Amino acid sequence: MDAIPPVLSPCGRTIVQVGNLHLTVPAAAGPVNILRGIDLDIPDGEAVGIVGPSGSGKTSLLMVLAGLERATAGTIRIAGQEITGLDEDALARLRRDTIGIVFQAFHLIPTMTALENVSVPLELAGRRDAAARARSALESVGLGHRLTHLPGQLSGGEQQRVALARAFAPEPRLLLADEPTGNLDQATGETVMDLLFRLRERSGTTLLLITHDADLAARCSRRIHLADGRVVAIEVTTPIAGSPA
Amino acid sequence: MMLALRLARRELRGGVRGLWIVLLCLALGVAVIAAVGTLREATDRGLAADGTRLLGGDLEVESGAEPLPDTLRDWLRNRGAALSDVASMRSMAVAASGERQLVELKAVDAAWPLVGAPVLDPPQPLADALGQRDGRYGLLADQVVLDRLGLHSGDVVRLGTESFSVRGALRAEPDRVATAAMFGARVLIAQGALPATGLIAPGAMVQYALRLTVPDTAAVSALIGDLRATFPDTGWRIRTPRDAAPGLTRFIDQTSLFLTLVGLTSLLVGGIGVANGVRAWLEARATTIATLRCLGASSRLVFTVCLIELLALSACGIMAGVVVGAALPVLAASLLRDVLPVPPVAGVYPGPLALAASYGLLTAASFALWPLGRASRIPGAALFRDTLLPEHVRPSRPLLALNALLAAALIGLTVATAANRGFALGFCAVALGTLGLFRLGAIALTRVARSLSRLPRSASVRLGLGNLHRPGAATPLMLVSVGLGLSTLAAVALIQGNVRQQVLGQMPANAPSFYFVDIQNDQLARFTAIVQGSPGTSDLKQVPTLRARVVAVNGVPAEQVQATPETRWALSGDRGLTYAADPPPDTRIVAGAWWPPDYTGPPLVSFDSGLAKGWAVKVGDTIRVNVLGRDIDLRVASLRQIAWQTLGMNFAMVASPGLLRNAPHTHIATVRVAGPEQAALLRAVTDALPNVTGIRVEDVLTAIAALLSQIAIALAATGSLTLVAGALVLVGAVAAGQRRRTQEAVILKAVGATRGQIRTAWLAEFGLLGLAAGVIAALVGTAASYGVVHYVMKTEWSFLPGTLAVTLAGCLALVLVLGYAGTAQALRAKAAPLLRNE
Repeated sequence: MDAIPPVLSPCGRTIVQVGNLHLTVPAAAGPVNILRGIDLDIPDGEAVGIVGPSGSGKTSLLMVLAGLERATAGTIRIAGQEITGLDEDALARLRRDTIGIVFQAFHLIPTMTALENVSVPLELAGRRDAAARARSALESVGLGHRLTHLPGQLSGGEQQRVALARAFAPEPRLLLADEPTGNLDQATGETVMDLLFRLRERSGTTLLLITHDADLAARCSRRIHLADGRVVAIEVTTPIAGSPA
Repeated sequence: MMLALRLARRELRGGVRGLWIVLLCLALGVAVIAAVGTLREATDRGLAADGTRLLGGDLEVESGAEPLPDTLRDWLRNRGAALSDVASMRSMAVAASGERQLVELKAVDAAWPLVGAPVLDPPQPLADALGQRDGRYGLLADQVVLDRLGLHSGDVVRLGTESFSVRGALRAEPDRVATAAMFGARVLIAQGALPATGLIAPGAMVQYALRLTVPDTAAVSALIGDLRATFPDTGWRIRTPRDAAPGLTRFIDQTSLFLTLVGLTSLLVGGIGVANGVRAWLEARATTIATLRCLGASSRLVFTVCLIELLALSACGIMAGVVVGAALPVLAASLLRDVLPVPPVAGVYPGPLALAASYGLLTAASFALWPLGRASRIPGAALFRDTLLPEHVRPSRPLLALNALLAAALIGLTVATAANRGFALGFCAVALGTLGLFRLGAIALTRVARSLSRLPRSASVRLGLGNLHRPGAATPLMLVSVGLGLSTLAAVALIQGNVRQQVLGQMPANAPSFYFVDIQNDQLARFTAIVQGSPGTSDLKQVPTLRARVVAVNGVPAEQVQATPETRWALSGDRGLTYAADPPPDTRIVAGAWWPPDYTGPPLVSFDSGLAKGWAVKVGDTIRVNVLGRDIDLRVASLRQIAWQTLGMNFAMVASPGLLRNAPHTHIATVRVAGPEQAALLRAVTDALPNVTGIRVEDVLTAIAALLSQIAIALAATGSLTLVAGALVLVGAVAAGQRRRTQEAVILKAVGATRGQIRTAWLAEFGLLGLAAGVIAALVGTAASYGVVHYVMKTEWSFLPGTLAVTLAGCLALVLVLGYAGTAQALRAKAAPLLRNE
């Protein structure tokens, strides 16, 4: 296994700090160790790709970092706050104020319009300009004409753009993206990723991108390779985010 | 068809998850209807088997206050009949201690009972128990009389002016139903002892009856015909074992009608559950249906497969309901043994069970066709793309027509099998109207929720409002499922409250404390002096009264008069008749005019407008009555509206003075007296005038209140059944939306919603839903209670906000608890498994 070099943030601040992270889940055949002692520091503003084969623990790592799954052992600091001891509501508030998430399966609320879907996190945060911001976020992803459409009335690419708008609208410091192009065809996927990187660059949001796609990962400044629940390699590459589609 | 069966069988192998609510709803409704039908059949059989015993013979001839003539006895004996005379009346039993008690006195001859046997404690021959011993006749009484008066065997008790020796307790009498004891407990004496009591004075409220058994029971009908021909225009009431207990038969008819309607309401609510369950089931099966469609299955095949699955499941629910419905009456029969005078004949009765199953099948089909038809019309591609079934898709026209036909068949079956078809038709109309009203309410609620959804400052409340109006929201179904049960309960509570208020509410204002009956002409002055001399008495009112029997109306014999069922009672047996020169206070003449005070012409009568309507009698018509054996024609001079519930002295017939003034008659009096002085007044009057009977109004009202309480409990219990059905449907509706709700909760949590915010949203949603259902149910319940109280019970209706508020608050709490309990589960769901890539 390659030695894992320490990485410093350009501005010296680290937004994600993970130490000796373990995740074990019970199963009929006995406990399954999904994450086995992950150590990770991600500086503020960086774009990091997490790659690895299926079952390597990529999505589980994202879930644990988002506070949607509880770690069995280890420490996680997000924006300086230790989250392993937080209760469910404190974790929800942390996501609301700090983290945006984009899922492969979009996970929009099917009974809400595009505008309502994007407004929800802003409304939950008590933002009085929620609707205006949501509208602006949707316009920024090119869906200003689809505000009142339900998810079922949108194409896959459009749904993922709504999800991007929902994730970026509250201006999170950290964006977690789990295979955001997994359900899209190549051309649509590329459009969505261009949009994602453009929005990230504009907002300076830290990106943690889980992907199978080597080309996509190459657009990140660092690539962390996972295998069997462990970090097996970290590659530092020239960031190409923001390159034209 | 075989392919459809095969596909349906394969799918059913995977279980019926999501359709259990359909099964439960059908089972509940069918069980109620089957149980009611079976119990009714069992009671009818019991009545048929026991009719002769209940009547006390093969035939009864009742003549009211006039003893039956010996010519009749001879005529019957010549036809081989065995006879038994029975006289009954109210009286006061006075113990040696001075304690006294209103009793229902029954004097029987040596032949009594012709059928069955009484149960005496201690056991002894009836002749010994009632016969003369040491110069005193014997007396048997219900244990309650003995307990209240502190009497034991051998003690002396007075009836009128005669003393009797208590010989034991009367545990059971075979013909108790035929001579019901309403307000007093039974006391039994020998007929030979009756004259000595001094109770039989002209005009006394005594009722004579002759029971008989004949050698050939098949010839009873012919015997009745001969009897009527030989003794025409007597006004006698002739009863056979079939109508041994008309009150009981009517009670069973009305109760079973009510319970069947409750069962139908449950089934109707269950139908909503069926529609809801099927819809949710089809949504969950969208992928399977779409796959079948993409593999080449026609919409007809998809429809057939779904229909087969649903029919198979409905059959299971209906069967479960039938089994429970057949078994429940066995349990009920043992519980009702003391309430019903006739033991129900337990058994499996295919008729009521088949009827209940038909109701179940028609309901299932009527409510399931619409969602099934919709599903078959949706193209496969739409199902792949849309997670929500498009609302605008309607079933095909032939299917809509079939659905309408099934609904009409359901209504037809309800009306055709009801004892009171008009009432059943009214019920169906109200049920349909109520469904429509709730549908409109749902539309209004979603519109209001939509227009208000941006107003609240709380994001959670906005979310909750949104849940009510967003596409695919279950608002209409939830509103109807809770609302129907709630409406029934509100109506029952208001009817019950009104009846209770009618009986008890009026009492403090204007009800007298006592009725004194059978005051003879020559006793009137003394009676008045005693009452006026007693402390605390006021409002003494007295009127002359005669016993009169209606013989004919406009020349038509009483038994042939076309009267409405609710006014027929007044055509048989004795009625009270009074006379007056001036109209009684508070008289409301609605037609005709009162006679001049000095009128001396042919007898006129002022008649009850309610009875007049039922008999089709108008001013100028003639009512022939028999008073003490003499027929008198009374010309109707006016019609009066009588407020019976005031408990004052009200007579259906008030005649002009003159002719009647000279007929032998008694007086009836009412008096108000303060509580502590009541016992003293009763004692003073009945000691001085032993034949006079004092009836304490409070005791009568207590007896009625006790009866009402029992009815109220039964009504509330059965009314609650519809709410149980509604709650079941609500749980089903919540469960059906559980997947979507869980998904929504997880996404909301992922984008930063706290559990408190999600809870608040759901509380707002269910709170508003419960409130809307409550408001509509209050309107429906109020209207229904007004209809029943005003039009069916024909009494004054009053709005009871307290009763309504308590009922609705309870139901709102129920909606919140059920809704919240269902959704709390969604809140506990772990986020990660649902958010992982599919």
